[in-house]
Amino acid sequence: MSADRLNSTFAALADPTRRSILARLAAGESSVTDLAQPFDMSLPAVSKHLKVLERAGLIARGRDAQWRPCRLAAAPLKEVADWVEHYRRFWDESFERLDDYLNEVQSKEKKRGRKK
Amino acid sequence: MAAKNSPATLVGEREIAATRIFNAPRELVWKAWTERERIGNWWGPKGFTTTTYSMDVKPGGVWRFVMHGPDGRDYQNKITYVEVVEPERLVYKHGGDKDVEPVNFQVTVSFAEEDGKTRLEMRMVFPSANARDHIVQTYGAVEGLNQTLGRLGEDVA
Repeated sequence: MSADRLNSTFAALADPTRRSILARLAAGESSVTDLAQPFDMSLPAVSKHLKVLERAGLIARGRDAQWRPCRLAAAPLKEVADWVEHYRRFWDESFERLDDYLNEVQSKEKKRGRKK
Repeated sequence: MAAKNSPATLVGEREIAATRIFNAPRELVWKAWTERERIGNWWGPKGFTTTTYSMDVKPGGVWRFVMHGPDGRDYQNKITYVEVVEPERLVYKHGGDKDVEPVNFQVTVSFAEEDGKTRLEMRMVFPSANARDHIVQTYGAVEGLNQTLGRLGEDVA
């Protein structure tokens, strides 16, 4: 995947409405009308969001002109997930170790009789 | 206490943020981040060890170190300090040299005192998509798509 593509994925994900559209599509494919329902938004406004998601490769849409169901396209999200996962692991595990280290240092200090 | 911890999560386009409460005074947590004989004790994911070549914690100063991975690979690293406000804030740039890991991001770490404990907040900001690409291609990682969506959904809720 190109840097441009990843950039457009991130830009598409930056919007909360689009993230919640994706979260809904994780449950299965859906029509534009159904997707629009929980939002206080016109159909054209929702269609605009869908176009951004489609351009970013995050969703695919059916061919049928009447019923163009949207479904999730997994690959770009996986890239983002992997990217975040790397840092999540780095920091969560570092912080675990820092926690252990701080406890160890403080209990050593206590043992030496310098309580608190 | 545990509820105040928030694991590293994606915020916006290219920022990752995390919060953690440590049961230790702020001065000690600060030392753990800024003294070379301490930082190697905890830096990096499980299974990694860190060897420091040099560490100079002041604006413009540099921490040169190598991380030894559990797979036997060595990762050369360079951190340049941008802001050093003892004991409350540390800002540094990670990467940016030819012979080190081609990562490139800036980190802000805030240390706040809370009833004798320390609340640590960190934000890492990536300047470019290249930085992200590198991480994805070189290190990879496995995580279920649903988990990601779950987290994305939590952002919204």
